[in-house]
Amino acid sequence: MTSKITNRIALTVIVLCALVMTATLAALLGYILYHGLSAISLSFLTKDSSSFQAGGGIKNQLWNSFYILFATMLFTVPLGLCGGIYLSEYAKPNKLTQFIRSCVEVLASLPSIVVGMFGLLIFVNYFGWQYSILSGALALTVFNLPVIVRVTEDALQSVPRELREGGLALGVTQWHTIKTIVVPAAFPGILTGIILSAGRVFGESAALLFTAGLSTPNLDFSNWNPMSMTSPLNPFRSAETLSVHIWQVNTAGITPDIQTIANGSSAVLVLCVLGFNLFARMVGKFIDRKLTGKA
Amino acid sequence: MNQVYVKQNVEESHQNMKKASPVLEVKDLNIYYGEHHAVKHITMPIEEKSITALIGPSGCGKSTFLRTINRMNDLIHGARSEGEILYGGINLLTPKVDVVQLRKEIGMVFQRPNPFPKSIYENLVLSLKFSGIRDKKKLKDIAEDCLRKAALWDEVKDRLDKSALSLSGGQQQRLCIARALALKPKVLLLDEPSSALDPISSSKIEELLLKLKEEYTIIIVTHNMQQAARIADKTAFFYQGELIEYGNTDQMFTHPAEKRTEDYISGRFG
Amino acid sequence: MENKSVVIQMQPSPNNEGRSLIQNKKKWTSIFNRNSEWRGKIWIYGSAIVVILSVIAITLFLTVQGLRSFVVDHINVIDFITGTEWYPDRAENPSYGALPFIFGSLTVTILAAILAAPFAIGSALFMTELAPKWGQKVLQPVIEILVGIPSVVYGFIGLSVIVPFMRTHVGGSGFSLLSGALVVGVMILPTITSISADAVRAVSHDLRQASYALGATKWQTIYRVVIPAAKSTLLTAIVLGMARAFGEALAVQMVIGNARNLPNAISDPSATLTTIITLSMGHSTTGSVLNDVLWSLGLVLLIISYGFILLIRFISRRGQIS
Repeated sequence: MTSKITNRIALTVIVLCALVMTATLAALLGYILYHGLSAISLSFLTKDSSSFQAGGGIKNQLWNSFYILFATMLFTVPLGLCGGIYLSEYAKPNKLTQFIRSCVEVLASLPSIVVGMFGLLIFVNYFGWQYSILSGALALTVFNLPVIVRVTEDALQSVPRELREGGLALGVTQWHTIKTIVVPAAFPGILTGIILSAGRVFGESAALLFTAGLSTPNLDFSNWNPMSMTSPLNPFRSAETLSVHIWQVNTAGITPDIQTIANGSSAVLVLCVLGFNLFARMVGKFIDRKLTGKA
Repeated sequence: MNQVYVKQNVEESHQNMKKASPVLEVKDLNIYYGEHHAVKHITMPIEEKSITALIGPSGCGKSTFLRTINRMNDLIHGARSEGEILYGGINLLTPKVDVVQLRKEIGMVFQRPNPFPKSIYENLVLSLKFSGIRDKKKLKDIAEDCLRKAALWDEVKDRLDKSALSLSGGQQQRLCIARALALKPKVLLLDEPSSALDPISSSKIEELLLKLKEEYTIIIVTHNMQQAARIADKTAFFYQGELIEYGNTDQMFTHPAEKRTEDYISGRFG
Repeated sequence: MENKSVVIQMQPSPNNEGRSLIQNKKKWTSIFNRNSEWRGKIWIYGSAIVVILSVIAITLFLTVQGLRSFVVDHINVIDFITGTEWYPDRAENPSYGALPFIFGSLTVTILAAILAAPFAIGSALFMTELAPKWGQKVLQPVIEILVGIPSVVYGFIGLSVIVPFMRTHVGGSGFSLLSGALVVGVMILPTITSISADAVRAVSHDLRQASYALGATKWQTIYRVVIPAAKSTLLTAIVLGMARAFGEALAVQMVIGNARNLPNAISDPSATLTTIITLSMGHSTTGSVLNDVLWSLGLVLLIISYGFILLIRFISRRGQIS
């Protein structure tokens, strides 16, 4: 009898754990969206932020976030893809490969603030790029690289060996086989992983504090000359991203509407990340269906 | 005792083959996977424009042997081979051989149909594009030609841009054969090409092979003895890494020289 | 004799003319060929080198920079690690004791793991053992979304929900070690859950069948068979979660109170390695003693992170042997 009762109790506890987890998410999302959605308006999204008065927007921060994300992906995707291809296709089981695997593991588990400090040391000070979009993007590249490498390697590993043999047996070189057959076959998985990692990069803040900076110069959105200091495209200007903005407002903000701005910004940030998630799933499914000829 | 028989047999077949020209000449081939001696002292000539079937129970080394001919075994870690496979006066096993070129001349079709997840057309022209053929018209012509040879043209001519994965298993396998023909290989290696297919698709593949042997030298590994008997000119029986018997198919199936061959053919083991 | 005749017959036929089976010796020129294996290899190996270089560079530069305070500024290493007084900006007799931060970091990490691990493993068991269908349909997306929520958002919610809650129910300012641990605990919940779920899924079905066949209840099977079989990966999951908790900066900084003293209770405000770096790095000038000491804190952070990595390796290696 007792074992039955224990069983009942233990299983109930397990169910409760799952409920707590789901409830946590529901509460988090509920809180953010409930408080945040009312703060989001067109003017909030399209106005400059204000340092002292109420009513500031997040236009620049939003732009910076996407710009840094884009720059980061520009660096990470080719590097990460090739790294993943190396580990999956070329790496022989030897010491060097083990070492590279360890390096990926180390990169993946370094605290992001350490990556930020490295960025400060190298990109900001040593190369003299100051707090800039470029420094921030390069720091985030270090932060995101191991993720893309792993995603790529996993996706490639799930491609059946027969496809590789099929390519090689046709007298196609290994690199060309990988380029035209294996990578395309793994593409849905890789793309899904890349988009998900984009969500992670978009929300990252600690690595950007000392690399992209805490402020944005006045931007003139009609000036698209990347060399000009007021141009939104200038990669050498400092740039506060949306997630850094949330932190900044909460710890050092002095405007009267801190709460509203924080609520609104958090909601925008979470919605963007959710958007990335949803987009990743849809794209993955869509391409998968197209490749297998079910569409 | 057995050894003597084997030698005699092989020599006999050498005699027979003097008239026809061997396209491949295998000499004292040994293949190892690490410590495991997978293929032992194989010596056999392969006749041009004929079908040679390799039969034997699973793990007897026939697939390993086949995969060594176009050096696909290079991909397997720890596999190495000794001896000679002469093709055009060149030992294919020497490191100097450009495996990419080699595989253009010696094509291969695998057990499970492995079309690339691309359109039917892309499957056919992938290797051609790699070889530097850019002319659209020429690519189209070769694709059509290959599909016709593989008896697939009528079934797919209207949907060349559809995914190759939308084809049935049998069609996929014929597409793989067509794909292998695109580079005009001299030799075609087939590793149990119909074992994953239903009987109707399987017989279509057999018909196709009989037609193809007019132009190509075909080596086929098969589990299915009836298949070997139906289509092969020569049959080689492998057992535990050794070539037990090699000769004309008719003779081998009616009067096997070896007891083990007889046992296997009559279904006593395998 | 026969061989010779073979060789002669085997001249390449017209259609294969120009194809040579023997490799072209001048390999390097093929870099200019867009299909060449070489070009690909340059990309591939280049990327592998970038990965290696970044790890070496991070380790090397942070170490060199972090050692400055000991070598150039002559701060005693032992005093630095065991000192409890952090007054780097005091004009007279500045003191650089990092113990409060090291203590804060480790306490937050351990508390967060204690808070999160039971719920995480419970949820993992739910989605694998009890209700795989629900697990797949509901819990899996829940985990994925929770992982995706940026850490500043966790910090922000901690600031606007947990801190006021603590203030009214526990007392004090509400900014405390406990608040930090709670925020980070929620953050690492999905990390631990998803790895744990993988671990439990990997336990072979035969083991479970055998247990049920002996008349064991579901819980007995989970407790005596499934958990022991997945033990090392479950541990890895928890340590990975701890590593993430340990490295988290901004979310903790927003709720922990940023006190410079050793806390007396978990309801006291405190600080961690990451939070003090976050707060002070921007204000310090390069080359100043304060700046050097912050880099030393960064070095401590790096060393402990490496510790976590080694610990994970140790656990999974031991798991493989047993």
